[in-house]
Amino acid sequence: MFRSLQSDDHNLITLSVNGRSVKARKGQSVWSAMAVASEVVTRKAALSGNARSAYCAMGVCFECMVEIDGLANQQACLSRVAEGMNVSTQVITEDTEADAGL
Amino acid sequence: MQAFDCAIVGAGPAGMSAALALTQGGADVIVLDRADRAGGQIYRSASSSPLPDAASLGPDYAAGADLITRFERSGAKHLAGADAWHIGDDGRILFSYQGDTRELHCREMLLCPGAMERPMPIPGWTLPGVMTAGAAQVMLKSDAVVADGAVFAGSGPLLYLIVAQYLRLGVRVAALVDTTPRRHYLDAAPLLPRAWRQVGQLRKGLSLLREIRAAGVDTYRYAENLEVIGEETAKGLRFSISGQPHEVSADTVFLHHGVQPNLNMTRAMGLAHHWNNAQMCWQVTVDEFGQSAISHVSVAGDGAGIVGADGACAAGRVVAQNMLYHLGRVSRTGRDRNSHADLYYLSSMKPFRRFIDCLYRPTEALRLPRDTETLVCRCEEQSLGDLRAGFEQGARDPNALKSLTRCGMGPCQGRQCGHVVTGLLAQWRKESPDAVGYYRLRSPQRLLTVDELGRYNTIPAEAAK
Amino acid sequence: MKADALIIGGGIQGCATAYHLARKGVSVIVVEKDYAGRHASGVNAGGVRLLGRDMAEVPLSKASMEMWQTLDEELGHDTGFRRQSLINIAADEGDLDTLRAREAKMHEAGYAYERMIDQAELRDRLPHVNFDCVGGVISELDGYAIPYKATSAFRLAAENLGAKVIEGEEVLSLRRVGNTWLAQGSRNAYEAEAVINCAGAWADRIALMIGDNVPLSHAAPMLMITARMPHFAKPVVGAVSRQLSFKQFENGTVLIGGGAKGFADRANNRTRLDYAKLAAACRTTAEFFPNMRKASINRMWAGLEAYMPDNLPVICPAVNAPRAFHAFGFSAHGFQMGPIVGQVLADLVTGGQSRFNLSPFRIDRFDRKVL
Ligand SMILES: Cc1cc2nc3c(=O)[nH]c(=O)nc-3n(C[C@H](O)[C@H](O)[C@H](O)COP(=O)(O)OP(=O)(O)OC[C@H]3O[C@@H](n4cnc5c(N)ncnc54)[C@H](O)[C@@H]3O)c2cc1C
Ligand SMILES: Cc1cc2nc3c(=O)[nH]c(=O)nc-3n(C[C@H](O)[C@H](O)[C@H](O)COP(=O)(O)OP(=O)(O)OC[C@H]3O[C@@H](n4cnc5c(N)ncnc54)[C@H](O)[C@@H]3O)c2cc1C
Ligand code: FES
Repeated sequence: MFRSLQSDDHNLITLSVNGRSVKARKGQSVWSAMAVASEVVTRKAALSGNARSAYCAMGVCFECMVEIDGLANQQACLSRVAEGMNVSTQVITEDTEADAGL
Repeated sequence: MQAFDCAIVGAGPAGMSAALALTQGGADVIVLDRADRAGGQIYRSASSSPLPDAASLGPDYAAGADLITRFERSGAKHLAGADAWHIGDDGRILFSYQGDTRELHCREMLLCPGAMERPMPIPGWTLPGVMTAGAAQVMLKSDAVVADGAVFAGSGPLLYLIVAQYLRLGVRVAALVDTTPRRHYLDAAPLLPRAWRQVGQLRKGLSLLREIRAAGVDTYRYAENLEVIGEETAKGLRFSISGQPHEVSADTVFLHHGVQPNLNMTRAMGLAHHWNNAQMCWQVTVDEFGQSAISHVSVAGDGAGIVGADGACAAGRVVAQNMLYHLGRVSRTGRDRNSHADLYYLSSMKPFRRFIDCLYRPTEALRLPRDTETLVCRCEEQSLGDLRAGFEQGARDPNALKSLTRCGMGPCQGRQCGHVVTGLLAQWRKESPDAVGYYRLRSPQRLLTVDELGRYNTIPAEAAK
Repeated sequence: MKADALIIGGGIQGCATAYHLARKGVSVIVVEKDYAGRHASGVNAGGVRLLGRDMAEVPLSKASMEMWQTLDEELGHDTGFRRQSLINIAADEGDLDTLRAREAKMHEAGYAYERMIDQAELRDRLPHVNFDCVGGVISELDGYAIPYKATSAFRLAAENLGAKVIEGEEVLSLRRVGNTWLAQGSRNAYEAEAVINCAGAWADRIALMIGDNVPLSHAAPMLMITARMPHFAKPVVGAVSRQLSFKQFENGTVLIGGGAKGFADRANNRTRLDYAKLAAACRTTAEFFPNMRKASINRMWAGLEAYMPDNLPVICPAVNAPRAFHAFGFSAHGFQMGPIVGQVLADLVTGGQSRFNLSPFRIDRFDRKVL
């Protein structure tokens, strides 16, 4: 279980993670905000569909790719939270179909 | 396009120290770093810690704040949040900044991309809940976020440091599972007398271990056959000691067995690299001044071979003197005089480095996977068995294996699997890692949207400034 | 080392030729200076395309296309071939005129595999296409394969039949003594009754060793590939008058080409990329497929390809020496031709004859021209 060592409630913002409203601190990484909210599954692996989560937290494993405000492949560990941000677990496997188009 | 005397990529100890020396020498310098704040790995957020008590991270960390302040006042232009995605041997750098690709030119280029942790492909290492020990530290330093009741496994000073940092902050640690083999203590012992010159460093290391022991954390030594247990997420760690099975339950498992240079930047540029057998990793080939075969491209710090933070600072200063010499701002003798003390320090560090490298040498059992199902390539989910099958189909070169199996083709661009693939092919071909080689890498260094690249070269020059 | 036939170059042409010769019981050695599939054949866009071919190439390309449909079974290895169709998009009326003219020419020659489609069918087949596009042309047999896998499949099949593939061996010189070709490699010497030049972007150098001059040039076409995306385009996509070219593989990644060239450094086995041109390719892609704007480019690269002035390959016996043969200069569309070229060369080597008209592919076709 992840938790924050900061107890005051200064500089809090609200974002949504997988549809849940989550509080985070301004400047915090999207990954650590997810971790504290126990939303640790960042993406589904492309072939097996297995759940994956951040591994390195420093930008070198690309396990933490999430969808942020409709844009896929965003590294949660390198992205910063913002008020009203929409974050979701990235599900792009070999079988994912796009929306209907035109 | 803006032009500079010097462009530095990476504002860690190496890049900051180099920038200080270069600006003092009168050069006009720009430093790019993707992070919002200068500091690099060790001094991450040191000038703006979110922790209630940053002193618990230790005196080294506090010292970082001073270096950062001096750097910020040096007159070097620091572009925070600038993520370099192409570094050309012609002195051109393309980087993402605030959503756009910008471009700059420089006469002298210094790469200080630092290190990353060595991947540990044990069974279950891809389960949610398994992270590197460095990840624990990153989350702690930048966001004051910790994991309660985690197990830490592996070996090396960084592992003990983060455990100690957790303990000082009152975070519960389930266990420390030390994988340093008994044999390594025997192998390293003869190197100890010469390493003694760095007695301060040795003391620091010992006191960390004492601190952990005193805190009463369950500590297991000489652990082997590590395996993360759990189906969907990590539930704990299984291992054996002298053949006896052990198990520790934990939702979070932090792994670590040393660091290796971040290769992608120097590899994508096509610089020569060689295998460092003491540190079991690739490193870029540079001379004592950090200069590569392309004379206007230099590399310093952990990105040029693991030297630690103090070594990175010294190396940054040395490289800076050589660059000033190239720029005609100091004479050759001036360069040699100004870098004498740092070069001496770097060479006097060597016996200590050798001792540490020997004691904490990554074991083959943790460097290379043993079970056929264990994934080597996390992105494209290629297992040891898949790679072996590819090898048997004639793919003997890392690039051929990549083309055949997709191992190394995912977004991490081989950062996680590259060393493992070299290691496996070396074993299978019964040849040296140097003979086997590595992936041919290319820019971009990271994912780039079609939208962003599409706007490149259309941004008016004034806006690019 | 001795063999009946020595093939220089382990790309798809060399490996396919080795396979077809070995099938005929000929003993074969392939020498490759790097590793098989290292260059164009292993890093190309994988387009298996009949659509829009030069009339001179159509018979060969059609025969090759038939072979692709069953190649996996024939070779016993996976080439990654998928028949997905290829559509060239018409952006406006002008494009439609171009297509109509082409259609008339094709019908006259008796070919019916290219079919024009209207806007409704275009949108039906490519639902994410820009609303302004007016129609296009489709070839149903077309598709893609995985370049390295396909090259490797030919190589493995050839090896199964006894061919030897020697990697890391560069042919440095070649001469004919009596009835034998003597080749000096960087490590070993070779002797063969026949020699076959499949040396890709380096083939002019081998041609020179054989005694034939050829106006070959080389260049470095560039490609980009994205991280996986939700599936949105089954057909391979091109455009009638724009540099648009992409395909979404079964695994979801999208390969973007378009013919933009980087910088070719043949002597050093290296290529460099031209990012401004890649940026233009991004703009074109996003213009035709707005959903592509959000795609994440994962890798970019270029390969070394051999070009002839008329963009047609050289496939023929040598002019100035006996028992030497050429197949090179495929001008960025030779991957699709691999299967048939191997067969044609094997026929030339063993019987001196091919069922195809090879006169457009003679090596000396520029000799009398003042260039
Ligand atoms: C996760 C981790 C934690 C560590 N913690 C400690 C510790 O607590 N104590 C200790 O003694 N040592 C620690 N080390 C070792 C430490 O990294 C080195 O001793 C020291 O920081 C090396 O300094 P450097 O300047 O070479 O590189 P770094 O400090 O790593 O700096 C490299 C910088 O380059 C930037 N960068 C990289 N690529 C790009 C790019 N493409 N574009 C823009 N910027 C880029 C990074 O953001 C980073 O700021 C740690 C190493 C790692 C990997
Ligand atoms: C980026 C790119 C995209 C392309 N896209 C397509 C496409 O979508 N569809 C399509 O049909 N075609 C495409 N092509 C073209 C196609 O890849 C080539 O026409 C085809 O692969 C040529 O095959 P080859 O065997 O002649 O050449 P190569 O694959 O280049 O093989 C020649 C080999 O000869 C070796 N060699 C050279 N000299 C010596 C020597 N002295 N001794 C030993 N070995 C030697 C080389 O190392 C090389 O491996 C593309 C090409 C590129 C570069
Ligand atoms: S956790 Fe590794 S890249 Fe973000």
